[in-house]
Amino acid sequence: MSRQRKATPSARIGMLTYHALMLAISAVFLLPFYWMTISAFKTNAEIFSNPVTWLPDPIRWENMTSLLTREDFPFVQQFVNSVFYAGTVAVLVCLSCSLAAYSFGCLRWRGRNLVFGLTVCALLMPTIVTFLPIYLAWSKIGLTGTYWPLITPFLFGDAFFIFMLRQFFMGVPRELLDAARLDGASEFRIWWQIVMPQLRTPLIIVGLFATVYTWNEFFLPLIYLQDREAFPLSVGLFTFQSQRAVEWSVSMMGAFLTALPMVALFLLTQRLFQRGLSSTGLK
Amino acid sequence: MGMVQLSGVRKFYGALEVIKGIDLTVEPGELVVFVGPSGCGKSTLLRMIAGLEDVDYGRVEIASKDVTEAPPAQRGVAMVFQNYALYPHMTAFDNLAYGLRRAGLARNAVDKRVQETAALLQISDLLKRKPKAMSGGQRQRVAIGRAIVRKPEVFLFDEPLSNLDAALRVEMRSQIARLHQELAATMIFVTHDQVEAMTLADRIVVLNAGRVEQIGTPREVYHSPANLFVAGFIGSPAMNLLPATLGPSGVALVSGPVLGGHSGTGEAVTLGVRPDRLTLTSPESAHLSGEAKLIEHLGDETILHLALADGGALTIKLAGDVALTIGARVHARIDMVGASLFGADGRAMRLEGARETEA
Ligand SMILES: Nc1ncnc2c1ncn2[C@@H]1O[C@H](COP(=O)(O)OP(=O)(O)OP(=O)(O)O)[C@@H](O)[C@H]1O
Ligand SMILES: [Mg+2]
Repeated sequence: MSRQRKATPSARIGMLTYHALMLAISAVFLLPFYWMTISAFKTNAEIFSNPVTWLPDPIRWENMTSLLTREDFPFVQQFVNSVFYAGTVAVLVCLSCSLAAYSFGCLRWRGRNLVFGLTVCALLMPTIVTFLPIYLAWSKIGLTGTYWPLITPFLFGDAFFIFMLRQFFMGVPRELLDAARLDGASEFRIWWQIVMPQLRTPLIIVGLFATVYTWNEFFLPLIYLQDREAFPLSVGLFTFQSQRAVEWSVSMMGAFLTALPMVALFLLTQRLFQRGLSSTGLK
Repeated sequence: MGMVQLSGVRKFYGALEVIKGIDLTVEPGELVVFVGPSGCGKSTLLRMIAGLEDVDYGRVEIASKDVTEAPPAQRGVAMVFQNYALYPHMTAFDNLAYGLRRAGLARNAVDKRVQETAALLQISDLLKRKPKAMSGGQRQRVAIGRAIVRKPEVFLFDEPLSNLDAALRVEMRSQIARLHQELAATMIFVTHDQVEAMTLADRIVVLNAGRVEQIGTPREVYHSPANLFVAGFIGSPAMNLLPATLGPSGVALVSGPVLGGHSGTGEAVTLGVRPDRLTLTSPESAHLSGEAKLIEHLGDETILHLALADGGALTIKLAGDVALTIGARVHARIDMVGASLFGADGRAMRLEGARETEA
């Protein structure tokens, strides 16, 4: 808007201060990430050398091969586990939460607000509180040590994502649903064929949130899984670090490669995040 | 083509009664227009006929079948919405075909029906486009096509033209009138637009606060409004409603003059006079005098808004461009032919001889 006009001196100073402040704040967040990245390409000695080297020289690519070929750290297997875990949860969350959100946001039924209120209350319930009885139940049916206890709950939705999606479902014009009802579509069909295509952007964003969240999920896999071969990366990295505390460069390479897909995913979908949450693709 | 019959239909939102017992019969092939102030329940009533809202009490019959509990798709109704409500992610063809496919029509039959309908509405070259790539008028035509293609018993229109500009609205209005004749279909049409209501309707249903105030042909509701509400609502500019008493020698206006022809025993009444039933005259022969507060020059007619001495207001519609300035003293005469008289309860009283203008 005002880009054409010349900024007044005071406005320019304001902009400068703003950008300086923003740079400082992002530095605080980016520094650990940068530290992890450069450490991944150094030897142990170089990581702790004094004075600090801000760029690895030479770049130790061999850290990567040594990580990927280690017997005591099945990185590739754990990476596949993480992809499976996060991917399945993301898909299930999108399906189950959007069904629930359709009901809360698009249908009118007695007690709807009460049930929705209870669902939101579930948000306030810490995992720690409910995990013991649930763990005992899973262990009774003998499914601990598998991904079933980690994935099945998402078949039934997740309070946070239901809450988030409901807003978007409420934004779908009522007449669109009415038109489909007059056309003879069942509620299930309206959900799938009429409403879901309108909400592609919010659904992708929910899927991404769920992916990142699950990728980083630590507590539940730690509790339910026993074998190193079954761990997702979050747990795998932690166990490796606690057992091989001295091998910093391999740990850092592992951490770097674990963070990389999420960073890439974010960069690829950044534009969606920026415009997505405000506009739902509906006119 | 089917009859729509509502008997004792009522609707509650929580404790709030928004439809308060409506009886109405729409004859086969008739075009009925619902009018009424915003929030009076026009849309709600229409949606109850469509089956999109539950009917709390009463019965809805379409084509002599009780459909009170039937789902929307099995009532033989189609609806056109104000915001078109086309499926945004589907082409016009798929929009039209969606309902046919749901009804289980074979692919060829669907194709044929869609093409026929598109030809009828001159939208054949739009069929491959999505709604986003269409103008408002084109979208509206596709929306009407989606209603027609299913060959319903009854068409329901909820203010379908109010998002269009004036010129397009006139065009679409005549197209709907044409469709009504070609399809000989039963139609119920909701509108805010008086001209739309008067020109399209076989009969007008005037609704107010969930009740029917009057049902009649456009001329009936215009010339013989059943009550004060209809008198004030139908017609633009609105009818002048003047407080008066009905004495032995005639209708006595509060300001003094007595208009002959009717007699009573001194009860309070309201005299309703259309703005075009007033003429300018000399001070001696005037029934009412006031000061011009606002003058609307519309080219072929002039609308005068007067402030009367007793604090009331008066609107006069004059043919042609009348040269008058604000603040001028204006004297007007009432033409009692075509005037209406309302009792203290707000209901119209019979005025002998006043209906002559209709003939
Ligand atoms: N879902 C609802 N919950 C509660 N009240 C409602 C609901 N829908 C409509 N109403 C109320 O019912 C009444 C009738 O609404 P309706 O939409 O039928 O009016 P309308 O005559 O179509 O108005 P407009 O001319 O503005 O479209 C209004 O007072 C409205 O506030
Ligand atoms: Mg309405």
